[in-house]
Amino acid sequence: MAGQEDLVQQEIHQDWTNWKLIELITSSIKKIVDFLNSFDMSCSRFMTLNEKLKALEWRIEYIKAQVTKGETLT
Amino acid sequence: MTTHVTLEDALSNVDLLEELPLPDQQPCIEPPPSSIMYQANFDTNFEDRNAFVTGIARYIEQATVHSSMNEMLEEGHEYAVMLYTWRSCSRAIPQVKCNEQPNRVEIYEKTVEVLEPEVTKLMKFMYFQRKAIERFCSEVKRLCHAERRKDFVSEAYLLTLGKFINMFAVLDELKNMKCSVKNDHSAYKRAAQFLRKMADPQSIQESQNLSMFLANHNRITQCLHQQLEVIPGYEELLADIVNICVDYYENKMYLTPSEKHMLLKVMGFGLYLMDGNVSNIYKLDAKKRINLSKIDKFFKQLQVVPLFGDMQIELARYIKTSAHYEENKSKWTCTQSSISPQYNICEQMVQIRDDHIRFISELARYSNSEVVTGSGLDSQKSDEEYRELFDLALRGLQLLSKWSAHVMEVYSWKLVHPTDKFCNKDCPGTAEEYERATRYNYTSEEKFAFVEVIAMIKGLQVLMGRMESVFNQAIRNTIYAALQDFAQVTLREPLRQAVRKKKNVLISVLQAIRKTICDWEGGREPPNDPCLRGEKDPKGGFDIKVPRRAVGPSSTQACQWSPRALFHPTGGTQGRRGCRSLLYMVRTMLESLIADKSGSKKTLRSSLDGPIVLAIEDFHKQSFFFTHLLNISEALQQCCDLSQLWFREFFLELTMGRRIQFPIEMSMPWILTDHILETKEPSMMEYVLYPLDLYNDSAYYALTKFKKQFLYDEIEAEVNLCFDQFVYKLADQIFAYYKAMAGSVLLDKRFRAECKNYGVIIPYPPSNRYETLLKQRHVQLLGRSIDLNRLITQRISAAMYKSLDQAISRFESEDLTSIVELEWLLEINRLTHRLLCKHMTLDNFDAMFREANHNVSAPYGRITLHVFWELNFDFLPNYCYNGSTNRFVRTAIPFTQEPQRDKPANVQPYYLYGSKPLNIAYSHIYSSYRNFVGPPHFKTICRLLGYQGIAVVMEELLKIVKSLLQGTILQYVKTLIEVMPKICRLPRHEYGSPGILEFFHHQLKDIIEYAELKTDVFQSLREVGNAILFCLLIEQALSQEEVCDLLHAAPFQNILPRVYIKEGERLEVRMKRLEAKYAPLHLVPLIERLGTPQQIAIAREGDLLTKERLCCGLSMFEVILTRIRSYLQDPIWRGPPPTNGVMHVDECVEFHRLWSAMQFVYCIPVGTNEFTAEQCFGDGLNWAGCSIIVLLGQQRRFDLFDFCYHLLKVQRQDGKDEIIKNVPLKKMADRIRKYQILNNEIFAILNKYMKSVETDSSTVEHVRCFQPPIHQSLATTC
Repeated sequence: MAGQEDLVQQEIHQDWTNWKLIELITSSIKKIVDFLNSFDMSCSRFMTLNEKLKALEWRIEYIKAQVTKGETLT
Repeated sequence: MTTHVTLEDALSNVDLLEELPLPDQQPCIEPPPSSIMYQANFDTNFEDRNAFVTGIARYIEQATVHSSMNEMLEEGHEYAVMLYTWRSCSRAIPQVKCNEQPNRVEIYEKTVEVLEPEVTKLMKFMYFQRKAIERFCSEVKRLCHAERRKDFVSEAYLLTLGKFINMFAVLDELKNMKCSVKNDHSAYKRAAQFLRKMADPQSIQESQNLSMFLANHNRITQCLHQQLEVIPGYEELLADIVNICVDYYENKMYLTPSEKHMLLKVMGFGLYLMDGNVSNIYKLDAKKRINLSKIDKFFKQLQVVPLFGDMQIELARYIKTSAHYEENKSKWTCTQSSISPQYNICEQMVQIRDDHIRFISELARYSNSEVVTGSGLDSQKSDEEYRELFDLALRGLQLLSKWSAHVMEVYSWKLVHPTDKFCNKDCPGTAEEYERATRYNYTSEEKFAFVEVIAMIKGLQVLMGRMESVFNQAIRNTIYAALQDFAQVTLREPLRQAVRKKKNVLISVLQAIRKTICDWEGGREPPNDPCLRGEKDPKGGFDIKVPRRAVGPSSTQACQWSPRALFHPTGGTQGRRGCRSLLYMVRTMLESLIADKSGSKKTLRSSLDGPIVLAIEDFHKQSFFFTHLLNISEALQQCCDLSQLWFREFFLELTMGRRIQFPIEMSMPWILTDHILETKEPSMMEYVLYPLDLYNDSAYYALTKFKKQFLYDEIEAEVNLCFDQFVYKLADQIFAYYKAMAGSVLLDKRFRAECKNYGVIIPYPPSNRYETLLKQRHVQLLGRSIDLNRLITQRISAAMYKSLDQAISRFESEDLTSIVELEWLLEINRLTHRLLCKHMTLDNFDAMFREANHNVSAPYGRITLHVFWELNFDFLPNYCYNGSTNRFVRTAIPFTQEPQRDKPANVQPYYLYGSKPLNIAYSHIYSSYRNFVGPPHFKTICRLLGYQGIAVVMEELLKIVKSLLQGTILQYVKTLIEVMPKICRLPRHEYGSPGILEFFHHQLKDIIEYAELKTDVFQSLREVGNAILFCLLIEQALSQEEVCDLLHAAPFQNILPRVYIKEGERLEVRMKRLEAKYAPLHLVPLIERLGTPQQIAIAREGDLLTKERLCCGLSMFEVILTRIRSYLQDPIWRGPPPTNGVMHVDECVEFHRLWSAMQFVYCIPVGTNEFTAEQCFGDGLNWAGCSIIVLLGQQRRFDLFDFCYHLLKVQRQDGKDEIIKNVPLKKMADRIRKYQILNNEIFAILNKYMKSVETDSSTVEHVRCFQPPIHQSLATTC
């Protein structure tokens, strides 16, 4: 009887330990998720880059138009 | 290929992620932006109950019952969703119009085909409610059994029964409300009967049952009531349920708003069920079994609660419809209509703001310290610190829940109490129901209050969300510590006493609790603990080390961890399902210890000491929130969920199919968003994204709770529409704001001050906070990440073009004077552009301007063309120059029609100067430039046209001059020379001035009478004169501009002004010092030092160009004159060579003679009502004549032989005044004098320019040598 009791106590102890691991993994997944989200957010810097490229493209178009003086239209 | 990674490595890799800096530059003004949501779900719904080997068997059995009841609640929720989101199918199905219709069989077949699955669902629903009622009643029956009544029923059990009651109430209301369900079923039945689908009597019966079930109002309630009433003592159990709800509500033992509202609904519906034929709530109240006055107070304070979606329930209705209400009316106050202060959100704002500011400051303190101490997870904290964080998290959630509940309650109340045209004068009489409940039902303050509270909720949600990991750890630590301390330490004392007194039942319960919880240090209970033997602790105490872990209690001791769904699974409106099994077990066992009832005679409570009971009660109470907090991310989401502000299935049903969906003007999220945009309230502007986020909530709810694609689609469609509107409105007002700002900055300060003196205040635009909005580069909307800045930039860029285009179009629709206005408009646009560029990337302003001016690929733009057009068609023919004022004014008698111009388009004020007051102010200032063309206009033309434009205009003007001089004017000159007397001597002085006047008048009779002289001839000459003047004035203006440029450039070119030197100082020394001082500004050496060879070359060339620009004294006007001279090649201008070989004296063959004749004509004074030549033509006429004379080299001869000058000379001498041939002599002489002065001025100016022409063209003066005259007497001899 006592032996069985001990076993149960051991199991319960083990259970808490397992739970600690589960929590650890859960919180780590949470961290990964947080990381991915903040990575996603920080990707907005590409928008700035994109904008700069667009501005440059526009500039090229503009200069082209200035240089060709409507020759392309003929 | 799989590589093996150890757990430690994996975890440390995860930790490394935190080291990576991921800066996000935008200010956070939107709800938590998360593309991925992670909610670990450990709810096993008692699947793990068998693992609780150490628990008390009875409660494990109860868990089984609980588990199946939870499943039923979940199913009930699904049916509630089905009913709520039901959209009529039959309405869309074509009806069979008459029995002869040929395709009616087909229609019926299709009807059955379409509706059958739906009707099957309804059938299942009917069975379900039957089963649920049976189940509920059997539970009630079991618990009401006389023997069972003596024992206590756990709180969790009672609450679950309460949830059942709530479910019945919701399902019945939904069934009552949905007419479309009944219509669909009857349509199906009709079709099915026609097709004889239901053959067997059983299915016919079932179909009939379903009809009855659907048709009868309150069918579920009635059934429930009937079946309950036959159970003896059912009211006792219901009273327990109601009491527990009262207790929980009173002690705020709820977290989410739906839990709170559930408690109220259970109270109401519970009372309704209790009041019937068998029992009477008023008697129960009298017996103090229940407390009606308390409930009355709750119901009075909160009159309306959300039932489901946009369906609301007035709690007093349950009371009013209960059986014994009429006799006991006086006991209730909640049934009278009075508005609870709860619904005045504006007044509540003070408290809410206060709570908010307090809490976020506290939160900030913790979050800052987390940031300072690095990662909060790695640092160890004391139990107290964890406890503080735990409390903080709980308080945060409670605050969020309170605010969300508040918003929902006010919204619910408003839905139940729609406005009408009498209460709100903005509400039209024809406004429909939903409109009256939403659109017109809120005052501006209420809308702002809503926005503010929503902003607080979502803002705090972000802050809490950021701290989630920290909270999580603190919560787990605290709960673990609380559980272990309680089981290992607190329970020792009662255990010791129980052992000593040999109370076996108590020992077994206490041990069961301890065994279920305890995580002993070393893996096993200390065997030598004296309390186990009922002995006292040794002196100095028995040392128990309670371990610490960051662990929530497990669902199962045997570790049957099954993540049912990593991403948030189903939940119910009935509240979250069950707590974790362990907490449930522990709490239930604790309840059995402190319950007032028990199976045996004596309660366990009585055998415990007072302090112990208090300690247990305390622990029991505080552990209530453990389950919520263990799932903090889910709890946070639920506490902030405002999704129901969008759903409107109830109101849609009310329209009976007239509406498929309501327009956005009636939709709460848009009403709130639009309110901010329309009022432009600066303090609210940064909140504008929060009401838009309500769509996220609703969409999330539609997908995960309702699980209805069509609802999501409708939300998405609305969002698409709203967001377009939002960007459109926002961009427009941002542009208007910055335009008005620029307009205000550039508005003349003194003008503004003067206006103020007269009591007219031109307002500055009130400062607004668009910067924050413009920094948003990832707005999260329905899973899309939107670059708001880019969208707004696009629109503003378009507005900028339109604005520039407008400025130019406006100029094109007006005369030359409006060039001043054009420049102002362009300057304002330029400043607007500059202000906007701080927040967004716009195209270069000059490039934009050139594009608007159509000047990118064409050499000259719209402005140049219009300037020329105006010059040609209006300025040259219609303006008179006045040399004294240096201005041109419009002629008194126009000889040509003023040209027709296109009217400018009517546009919003922000496309002009920025706002209505600014437009008025500027147009007032502009009016002083409106009626003349002078130096300001010329300067503006220079600035706007530039060298290239001016060159074009001049070139074209010369063409006009050429065509005039070689065309019209030449013809007239030829004609007039013919009319001139061949010879006209200047009479001798002796004739006296009257005689001379008469002589000339006679001589020039034909010229004077030549009708076209004073019209066409003078007009053509005026045009030439105006053209010449224009060129001259432009050159002057250009020179001033250039000087200005050069002065600006001087400091960068090492050109320093001479300085004042004191006595004894040497100039060179001072200059050296100055040069040294300004050396860093000197551009060329600087670039030579730092630049590339290319840059150096450019800098040098630029420097040279700037320095040389004015040095060589190039004059444009000189070139113009030379060109004009080349147009005067026709011999008629000069006449034949003089016969005397020197010059013509009395012959009228040269142009200057003709001009003298013309001068004579225009010097004749005019009658009182006639216009003088200067009034009609201005000085331009004289400029034309004099220029031609100078260019022909006839100036000296003109000065000598002019008829008028001669007359003047004589008149000045004899001083006579007579009227000769209607000409007053004295007056004429005065006019001649004036013209003489004018002519001399013009000659002087022209000669100044011409001299350089002559010296340039040949350095040698032309000298003609004449033979000395020989007297006649000698001539023959020679």
